[in-house]
Amino acid sequence: MSLPLLFWQVAFFLAPLIFLIAISFWTVRNFQMEPDLNLKNWERILTRGVFWDAYIRTMIYATVAALFTSLIAFPASYAISFKLSDKTRQWVVFLLIIPFFTSYLVRVYSLQVFLSDAGIINALLSKVGIPTMAMLNTPFGTLVGLVTLCLPLVILLQVFSLGFVNRDLVEAAHNLRCGRLRTVLQVIVPSARVGIVIAALFAFILSFGDFVSPLYLGGGNPPTLSIMITDITKSGQQWPRASVVALMMISTLLVIAFAAIKFAYRERGK
Amino acid sequence: MIMTSTITSDTIVKFDSVIKKFGAFVAVEETSFDIRRGEFLAIMGSSGCGKTTTLRMLAGLEDPTEGNIYLDGERVNGKATWDRDTPMVWQSLALFPFLTVQENVEFSLKMRGVGKKERAERARIWLEKMQILEFADRNISQLSGGQRQRVALARALVTEPKILLLDEPLSALDAHLKVRMQAVLSNLQKDLGITFVYVTHSMSEAFSMADRVIIMSRGKVEQIGTPQEIYHKPKNTFVAEFLGSANIFNGTLSDVAGNNWTIDTDYGSYIVHPEGDLAKQTGEALSFIVSAENIRISDASSSAGGIIARAIGEEFVGASATVYFETAIGQEIKVQKSHHELAALNFATGKDYALTWDSAACYVLPQS
Repeated sequence: MSLPLLFWQVAFFLAPLIFLIAISFWTVRNFQMEPDLNLKNWERILTRGVFWDAYIRTMIYATVAALFTSLIAFPASYAISFKLSDKTRQWVVFLLIIPFFTSYLVRVYSLQVFLSDAGIINALLSKVGIPTMAMLNTPFGTLVGLVTLCLPLVILLQVFSLGFVNRDLVEAAHNLRCGRLRTVLQVIVPSARVGIVIAALFAFILSFGDFVSPLYLGGGNPPTLSIMITDITKSGQQWPRASVVALMMISTLLVIAFAAIKFAYRERGK
Repeated sequence: MIMTSTITSDTIVKFDSVIKKFGAFVAVEETSFDIRRGEFLAIMGSSGCGKTTTLRMLAGLEDPTEGNIYLDGERVNGKATWDRDTPMVWQSLALFPFLTVQENVEFSLKMRGVGKKERAERARIWLEKMQILEFADRNISQLSGGQRQRVALARALVTEPKILLLDEPLSALDAHLKVRMQAVLSNLQKDLGITFVYVTHSMSEAFSMADRVIIMSRGKVEQIGTPQEIYHKPKNTFVAEFLGSANIFNGTLSDVAGNNWTIDTDYGSYIVHPEGDLAKQTGEALSFIVSAENIRISDASSSAGGIIARAIGEEFVGASATVYFETAIGQEIKVQKSHHELAALNFATGKDYALTWDSAACYVLPQS
């Protein structure tokens, strides 16, 4: 049972990863990659301010997208889990899956129609006398795209984790003089912590590596890390340098994921 | 049931014609009863009888559909549970797994805005009382079943309420621990002098701890009384059957001569002496019970008469044994005898015996 799984992991995960690490030490001469053991690519990327700017920008996008999405998802998830009948809940969960039927790229393209200077939103705003705002090709545009990407998934994950919140705990809190809103903060959120943190983690990972929203809604300039990777590969076959950026992204996500899961499962008391 | 309409200072809770419906389903039929200040009251019945719903209405977790509930003289219909002082101990205990033992106990003090230092002090007093102070900083998942029980009690009692509600809190414990916790609860209630309302399906729990017991069935209160009263004088055949301690004989009232009533049963006519205010006409269905320890066993060949029944089984209960008989019409009859008496009879299962009793041992009750 575990042997085919092991094979799968080695062939399709570990081997490409090792290859990616190996390439990061290669050199490119005359647009040709040559195997090497050279630290120059690492040095080149990690000493450049433009890389760190992109790194911090990507971090901010992903963090804001994860937190903001989680925040606006929670009231919806709470209502779906606690206020709807079982039957309505099934329908709502079904509806939340529908967005995944359409390609994310198509959704982003249609968002351009909404966000562009002469787009639907600005047209509506001008009707009520509010001056047009630049939304497309701004960080705001990027964030709208990222939130659209993450929101249905975050709601679904939150709904599932809220479904496992022991209803007795909610009643016990009420019985112990804890009002409704306070119970949400004191009992329901801590009870569903694992799911809420993992939902936010998913949003972070999706946003951190996303290429579509920063490019088509954010304009691609200044770049995020994933845009930087494509830029580097396009200019002069610099796959080794691109793999340095990719490895930096992977290690960042590993650290963040590890920390988030550690936080999600931490226990109180000795 | 006759109820006094005034609320005396002895009464802490009054259910006045309370009805609870969930949609078309009637969970609790019209119910009126009082709970006395400082008593240990058990509400007992099988699952779905409405006992938990009754408790939840008292806690403010459900609102009655009709009727009124008074708590300490105040009508509490529609008053949210967080505005009442009716802490409850849940069957699942409902301890907060994301808080430590002490934080669990402090919870309701925190909700009342008690300062951090005082909160800790008061919580520790209760942890000490419940003998779990050493676990104060532990996580709930590291405690045993009995220790969790004590945390749940401390958490509910830390605000020193006048009444404590318990919803089958011992059902998850093993038999040995259950008996120990019963003693803890019993002593606690006596020491604190506050009212305990304890919902259970277990007769041994209800009868060993409670001052008074309410027996419920299908949303109806069948009987309220002390364990003694209910045990010896069940109000109807349902209660008698539910307790399972006595043998029930159903029949028809055929003759009334003063205090000597004749009931015709499948085994012949029996003279019984009704107690209380039973108003029955001849021809009406009537039953009597004979408890297991009041039945005599004789050889079938003896001239004792009585019911001839076959011994089908034997169960050891400490110094005595419960012997099971089956009559010709398939009714099971339980008899309790000492091992000594059974030995004298040369008792053996599979043999027929004659079963007799004194008419004074019969308790007359209506069929339900």
